[in-house]
Amino acid sequence: MTKSKGIPMFSPNRRTFLQGMGAAGLAGAGLMPRSAQAATSMKFMCWEGYDSPDIIKPFEEANDVSISIDLITDSPGGFAKLAAGAWRDFDVVATDSPWVQRMGPAGIGEFLDDAEFADVYESFYPQFRAPFAPLDFDGKTTGLPTRWGWVGPTVNTKYDTLENWRSYAPCFDPAYKDKICVLDWGDWPIMPMALYAGIDPYKELDDAELNEIRLVLRALFKNTRAIVGDLSVAQKGLMDGSFRTLIGGGTYCTSALRKDGQKEIMSIVPEPKDGLKQGIIWMEAGGIVKDPVDDAKAKALLRDLTSPEVAVKLAWTEATCNLVPSQKAEALFTDEQKDVLQMDYMWEAWDKSHFHNVAPNIDQMLEIWSQELAAAR
Amino acid sequence: MAEIQKTWRDGALRLSTLPLLLLMGLFFVIPLIMTALLSFQGTQYYRLVWTWDLKVWTDVFSQIHYWTIMWRTLMMALVCTVLCTILAIPIAYGMLHRLSRWSDHITLLMVFAFLTDAVLKTFGWVLFLDRSGVLNGTLEAIGFPPAAVNVLFTPNATMIGMVYNLLPYTIFTIALSMARIDGDLVLAARDAGASRLRAFIEVTLPLAKPGIWAGAVLVFVLSLGVFLEPKVMGGGTSPLAAELIRQSFETRVNWPLGAALTLVLIVIGAAALTVFGAVALWQARRVAHD
Amino acid sequence: MVSPIIKATGIEKYYGTYRALSDISLEVANGEFLALVGPSGCGKTSLLKILAGFEDLSAGSLVIDGKDMAGIPASARPTRMVFQKLALFPHKTVAQNIGFPLHLAKRPKPEIDTAVRRMLELMHLKESYLNRYPHELSGGEQQRVALARSMVSQPPVLLLDEPMSALDAKLKKSLQAELKHLHRHVGTSFVHVTHDLEEAMMLADRICVMRAGRIVQLGAPSEIYYRPADAFVAGFIGDTNLLPAKITRAGDGFRFACEILDCAEPLLSADQVAPGVAAGSEAALMIRPEMLRLLAQGENAECTIVGTVNEYFIRGASIQYRIAAAGTEIVMDIPGTSTLPAKQGDAVRLGLALGDLFAVET
Repeated sequence: MTKSKGIPMFSPNRRTFLQGMGAAGLAGAGLMPRSAQAATSMKFMCWEGYDSPDIIKPFEEANDVSISIDLITDSPGGFAKLAAGAWRDFDVVATDSPWVQRMGPAGIGEFLDDAEFADVYESFYPQFRAPFAPLDFDGKTTGLPTRWGWVGPTVNTKYDTLENWRSYAPCFDPAYKDKICVLDWGDWPIMPMALYAGIDPYKELDDAELNEIRLVLRALFKNTRAIVGDLSVAQKGLMDGSFRTLIGGGTYCTSALRKDGQKEIMSIVPEPKDGLKQGIIWMEAGGIVKDPVDDAKAKALLRDLTSPEVAVKLAWTEATCNLVPSQKAEALFTDEQKDVLQMDYMWEAWDKSHFHNVAPNIDQMLEIWSQELAAAR
Repeated sequence: MAEIQKTWRDGALRLSTLPLLLLMGLFFVIPLIMTALLSFQGTQYYRLVWTWDLKVWTDVFSQIHYWTIMWRTLMMALVCTVLCTILAIPIAYGMLHRLSRWSDHITLLMVFAFLTDAVLKTFGWVLFLDRSGVLNGTLEAIGFPPAAVNVLFTPNATMIGMVYNLLPYTIFTIALSMARIDGDLVLAARDAGASRLRAFIEVTLPLAKPGIWAGAVLVFVLSLGVFLEPKVMGGGTSPLAAELIRQSFETRVNWPLGAALTLVLIVIGAAALTVFGAVALWQARRVAHD
Repeated sequence: MVSPIIKATGIEKYYGTYRALSDISLEVANGEFLALVGPSGCGKTSLLKILAGFEDLSAGSLVIDGKDMAGIPASARPTRMVFQKLALFPHKTVAQNIGFPLHLAKRPKPEIDTAVRRMLELMHLKESYLNRYPHELSGGEQQRVALARSMVSQPPVLLLDEPMSALDAKLKKSLQAELKHLHRHVGTSFVHVTHDLEEAMMLADRICVMRAGRIVQLGAPSEIYYRPADAFVAGFIGDTNLLPAKITRAGDGFRFACEILDCAEPLLSADQVAPGVAAGSEAALMIRPEMLRLLAQGENAECTIVGTVNEYFIRGASIQYRIAAAGTEIVMDIPGTSTLPAKQGDAVRLGLALGDLFAVET
């Protein structure tokens, strides 16, 4: 059983805004039998999926540890919690990669020795092997990649064509009025819109560029039917055609629908526009929080999460399905699973995408977002 | 009847309030002070910096959109309070008098609904109100055009959700108040020549006032803090204060800003309650002098 | 004859299958003071509620003030009720309470004001009370305000539902006197429910005794007291001696045989026997305690009882004796004297007049 107890219809998702659900997950984790005689007790902060008993239980038994889980409901929020002092309580974290990388400069993470994990890197696709820039701080490695996917238009081909979504242009087309769903997932929906406006949001922006972002968001809100925080509501709209696309989403939103047989629903990345790539690669990573109770066991957990067998489980969860960096795991997927994960498209998406990071001007962008939202209605 | 006059000079009395004072201090006053102190700090790279300046406050007072959202929150709360009260009065009355035979069953159903997780109920509304949802499906089946009711993901849907989730508070407090009214008083009014409606207006309503006020205050305070309804049913396009505060704390990791906005909301709520109280007091005095 | 203000014919009331009232027929004359008396659960309050219009009747008809009351709600009836717990509106002042029926009738304010002040005077209430709230008044004052409210619009019929049951004895006495006075003064018909037969005898022109949903006896107070229909009515007030007796017809009158009672000529006239007994039911002889007297040595009476004093109580105006006679306890009230005529354990002879005897059904 997963922790989506009580609400089988609406399995909670990683970006759910419902703190209550996070709390329920926490309580659920607390209720999981913790063997009293376990030598070590570890605290693991992670997105949902990592907490699956399929993954945690065997690890606990094999390593004589008991793991208590703290589910993340918002990546920056999780980071802020650690940075504010909770790092003393935690041992391992699995969150969006920029936040693992930031534990380096914040001084709340342990660095990894690439040589020690050489065999792990060996099992990865070449794109993820050391030295891996997205998780690098000052020449030192902050974590290991665990899951990934891309952000781009999500299309239900029953109602629309992939052709239409080679660009984000329909978002601003009056014909799509009231048919766009924007995901309320912090920076995620802002980034693709900035890219469409011709601005690389991952670099330092000036006022003129920020104003461009303001204008593009204003235009987006004109066509927006709803700003949705819950994955299931977004997925439902995509299935019944009331949402033509989910802005800020991608494989994370569609793969679980494909798993349920709805192969007409796909995630793609738009074609580069004026020389600027339009897609975004997101990635989650595991890192060790500063001063873990047991360094060896914390490392063992990272190894476990990146092993081909566990990677398959991590890729295939109730609410979402995702790609994993492990090349060795690819052989363990069935053809059906590969199709669900759109594996034949993944390197094309990779090539047309930026790698997600924390934008330097994200706070201003979020402020612009809420200003425009307040003025929209 | 002689009342025992108690004063604060009574040492035993002061001692007996100590646990309450401690509790209030621990769980109300101290967190409030901490929130206030937090609002004078700053953030840098997602971490709190102890700056002791007014930057956040100047920000709060210079950004019109915070006030747009606060104003909208206040208006939604007021409308919700009025709707809940207006709806609850006949429901409570009907439960006690017209459907008294079923009153236990109704109460049980309401308690069940009330105790059901708000998340679940709110999603239920989404399925019900959706363009392709239960309501529109039913309407279409009886001859209405498709998607006749297009209310989901609008502020009206937020209001429906708020009223639905908060209505039990007013129903219960008002019903409790009405149940305590001596039935003979209503009979006396009827006997004196009052129609049912008139007896209700002259006797039941004024005597249910404590419950009506209590329910209204409860709903008002709770509706200032709603976040589920605007987000799920309202489609997030017109966020209210609680969402603004959540975003400040979580997404922007700007705790000082979140703290300042929290205080603004508390002050607005307290001010509104003061006005409520003043009106209630003025009314009571007016009745006494009339 | 002037047509009655209330005419009830064959009223029945069922609550589910429970029959609360059966075959109630009675008339109340204009200006009459009728008391409905009976133990709790006898149906007197149900009958009052039917008169007021708070309850529907299951069968029968009710005419008040010449109009059939079928389908007419309480608010439109020519009756006003004084409630047991008074039911003064706590959120209205004394003036607003009293003037409420006129306020509902949309009478002009000066008229209401005058009427309220008139009622205040009639009820001996101070004018300063006008702006007070009911909870600021004493129990007796609240009582008067309740009466004033129900009388202010001069209804043809006033219904009183044991309004004095909660008052202490002294206050009750004075309010009873006032109520009687008020009734004479205003000429309204009163229907007064009480479980206190003494109160009923003091106030009412006629008393209707009820038991188990039926009228047992309807008559003037003296009739109820001296000629009760049966042992139940006889025993309903004060202490009553009921001596089992065999009654047989003897010419125009009746002959009786009673173990305890020794009579030279055990004969009763026809009007000394309740109708049920005349028809052959089991009977008892009723002797009110004040009808007995203590016989001196050698003194004789038409009837005598021999016994021993068990106990006595000095009650001021009277002395009550409890006397054991052939296994039965006899109660006797004699006028109080400074010297006690008999003490505990004394053998005594009691005498009474043959004409004071009355045979009731048991």
